Amino acid sequence: MSDRAGTEAAGMVLTDEQARELAQRAVSLTGADQAEAVVISSAQALTRFANNRIHQNVAEANVQLSVRAVVGKRVGVAGTNRIDDESLRRCCEDAVAIARLAPEDPDFPGLPSPRAIDEASRAVPASESYGPGERGAAVASMIAQAEERGQSAAGKVEVNDYVLAVANSLGVGVAQQLTDVRATMLAMADEGGSGWASFAGRDASQLPAVSLGDEAALLADRSRKPGDLGPGSYAVVLGHEAVADLLTYLAYVSFSAKAFAEDRSFMSGHLGERLLHGTVTILDDALSALALGPTFDFEGQPRLRTTIIDEGMAVQPVTDSYWAAKLRRPNTGHALPAPNAHGPMPANLEMLGGDASIDELIASVDRGVYVTRFHYVNIEDPVPALLTGMTRDGTFLIEGGKLTRPLKNLRFTQSAVDALSHVEGITAERRLVGEEGASLVPALLIGEFAFTGQTA
Amino acid sequence: MRQFVESCLNAAQLAGASYADARVVDTTTQSLSVRSGTLEGIESAESLGFGVRVIADGAWGFASSSEMTEEAATRVARQAVAIARASALAPGAPVRLSPVDVAEGSWTGSWEIDPFEVSLEDKLKLLLDADAVLRTQDAVKISLAHMDFVKVAKAFGSTEGAYLEQRYVESGAGIVAYAVGDGEVLPRSYPNSHGGGWAQSGWEYVRGLDLVGHASRVADEAAALLSAEDCPAATTDLIIDGSQLGLQVHESIGHPTELDRILGDEAAFAGTSWVGLGDVGTLRYGSEHVTVTADSTVPGSLGSFGWDDEGVPAQRDTIIDRGTLAGLLTSREAAPTIGRTSNGCMRADGWNRIPLIRMTTVSLEPGEWSFDDLIADTEDGLYFETNNSWSIDDRRLNFQFGCEIAWEIKNGERRRMFKNPNYTGITPHFWGSCDAVCSRDDWQVWGLANCGKGEPMQVAHVAHGAAPARFRGVQVGVGR
Repeated sequence: MSDRAGTEAAGMVLTDEQARELAQRAVSLTGADQAEAVVISSAQALTRFANNRIHQNVAEANVQLSVRAVVGKRVGVAGTNRIDDESLRRCCEDAVAIARLAPEDPDFPGLPSPRAIDEASRAVPASESYGPGERGAAVASMIAQAEERGQSAAGKVEVNDYVLAVANSLGVGVAQQLTDVRATMLAMADEGGSGWASFAGRDASQLPAVSLGDEAALLADRSRKPGDLGPGSYAVVLGHEAVADLLTYLAYVSFSAKAFAEDRSFMSGHLGERLLHGTVTILDDALSALALGPTFDFEGQPRLRTTIIDEGMAVQPVTDSYWAAKLRRPNTGHALPAPNAHGPMPANLEMLGGDASIDELIASVDRGVYVTRFHYVNIEDPVPALLTGMTRDGTFLIEGGKLTRPLKNLRFTQSAVDALSHVEGITAERRLVGEEGASLVPALLIGEFAFTGQTA
Repeated sequence: MRQFVESCLNAAQLAGASYADARVVDTTTQSLSVRSGTLEGIESAESLGFGVRVIADGAWGFASSSEMTEEAATRVARQAVAIARASALAPGAPVRLSPVDVAEGSWTGSWEIDPFEVSLEDKLKLLLDADAVLRTQDAVKISLAHMDFVKVAKAFGSTEGAYLEQRYVESGAGIVAYAVGDGEVLPRSYPNSHGGGWAQSGWEYVRGLDLVGHASRVADEAAALLSAEDCPAATTDLIIDGSQLGLQVHESIGHPTELDRILGDEAAFAGTSWVGLGDVGTLRYGSEHVTVTADSTVPGSLGSFGWDDEGVPAQRDTIIDRGTLAGLLTSREAAPTIGRTSNGCMRADGWNRIPLIRMTTVSLEPGEWSFDDLIADTEDGLYFETNNSWSIDDRRLNFQFGCEIAWEIKNGERRRMFKNPNYTGITPHFWGSCDAVCSRDDWQVWGLANCGKGEPMQVAHVAHGAAPARFRGVQVGVGR
């Protein structure tokens, strides 16, 4: 085990080789026709602040093992976070016992065979050593930007340092150490002003605490005294965070091979057809320069660069070994931990950029709305990806190509498919944003977007 | 276990903590699901670990580990103190805790049949049988039958001298029929959506749900939805069933009355609240028919325990009294801001998380109407059942809920079915429009096992008692 100073040894995290050996050992202990083991060894630390002070400051160290046993076409899964010999043996036996009792799944194709994984560095030493002092200093810098303006700041600085290893009885044996760093900053000004900024990356030394705080505070100042806007369809400029929200929900309901096969996706039965605007290209790429997370999935298969929408045309959903075999499509390497109700899922979404600046998008709108981000989005109807949610932390009226006044938070009830069929502008600049995952997205101008209410 | 907890506390005090508590939590889970005639998954899992929460230099620190050794106890306790001291880089007023009677004891939830002792064969047979009935309707292209079980054993100790051990079992199960056709996917669930029904109970709860017996009706209603008209856009009188109303209570009363939200602690993630610190005793939250309690003593409820995760005993408190805000959900740290002591709402979702202010059993107290009389008393309106989607703003004012199914009410009779119903409103206006709540005959506690809050995210198991109720002049059919 290695003592990672940054997570102050919440802190005894397995090395990638130790994690791989543990997974392989579990596989060898599992007396089944086939076996797979997934090990996640993690040290996580999060400093949270509100009202210009740190009010929660936590750290965690854990090792989780999940064993999938296969008996014929019967599958069982057992998990534990105890890795002593007795617990390990019991976990493996439990998985086999479950598999023996499980009904056969005639479609189960067997576990996947080893495939080459692209080498990619995913752990940054500066993040491993980013301790409570560094987190606290970053928080203080962010808060200072709000305090200088008489505002109240809230947010977090979070560091995750973990190892993922996957092994199976067919010879899969992969492991990767990863780090990721996330920071958010909400600035609240008087008279209803509210602003937001965030950071996601692998390298804690790149966290721009001062500029993050400054961006949120400026937005909060600018959004004071928000006014009313009646419901209706408006042109809308969605900032990067808002685009990421929209894309995340669209992916959740639409881009999995399982949703596709069950006719729950707008792409079901329509591959090869232009379903979105011709400027919209969406892909999943675990190997892109900014991507967070592992380069293989939870079956140890390479996460392939997968184009899902190409210039508006539905190309393919993402798959794992089960759904690839069932649909007779390539395995794109997007398995989640087994078992799961969702099927395969994209993990590194990207939307390709265009050639505009965000100022140019705003300048092209005669009357519309600018949205910084959304809040509490949910799905009303999965096939058209009809979503509802609120705007938050900086919503503005656009008049004559300029932001003229802040607006109260608005409720939208809008199909994401329809929205992305009315794209009228895309920024060249893309940002990596997201609360849990992270999507690399541009800002967008959408010609028609349905706002159906506003907050009191 | 007590010795291990005391090791944590001793190490924290030696490292300089002015207060510490330690929790050891051992959680066992089992999940089974059958989808469209095929096993979707069976999984068992266990998680054991401990967390140490300290106050040092007037600030909070917390560290946790799955390594259950004396060495780890010392290391993690010291780490928690070091983290607390780092919190001083952005200091606030020193943390003060409201007093609590120091307790020693144990508490065990009630269950008759340990679900972990029931064979997988029996569980699978029930799920496969229910799933088969769902699939007898041709329009049902996707069917789902699922069950989940949780067993928790935990110990809590504090440097104030408390030592508490608690054990309980939770069981959940449900079925869903998805009618699929012409670009539509229409779910119909029983006994509730989003995880089914849940109780702090054993296998007897799942058996009592009679999933197989209800599957035919569920499938029929799903199929009928395919040919139903969309819910029209209107402003009308709305009767909401108990399950949906439980979620309405959760989102528009439970969360906004969490005192940490009111204080701004959750501002950057879940949001704040439209309720102010000085509103207790004066704020008009709803009509005279709206009385809401928070009660962690309700037998068999997901919101029940012996003590919360700060060692505060379970209790019943009034949150809204005949329409007026009467109390809030509090913690030892937050309660003094409203001049009170904690009413025991601090809950953590495992050994690796700090307790946060969470709901217990937050209930709309029953009224006096029978459901049939309520329908008969409604001249022109709608009746909505079972949640399909939910969304509410960061101050918990503007909400929009979608439901699975609706029926038109004309001249006191339930008539044609509508699909895709939704409704929207502003919290105090909505609760102010409540003019009738059904009686205890139609009231039940709805377990809810997916309440997300906090960073890192925690998922709480809470509950809401509710009976059908009527609201006047509600906007429905939004965005259709």
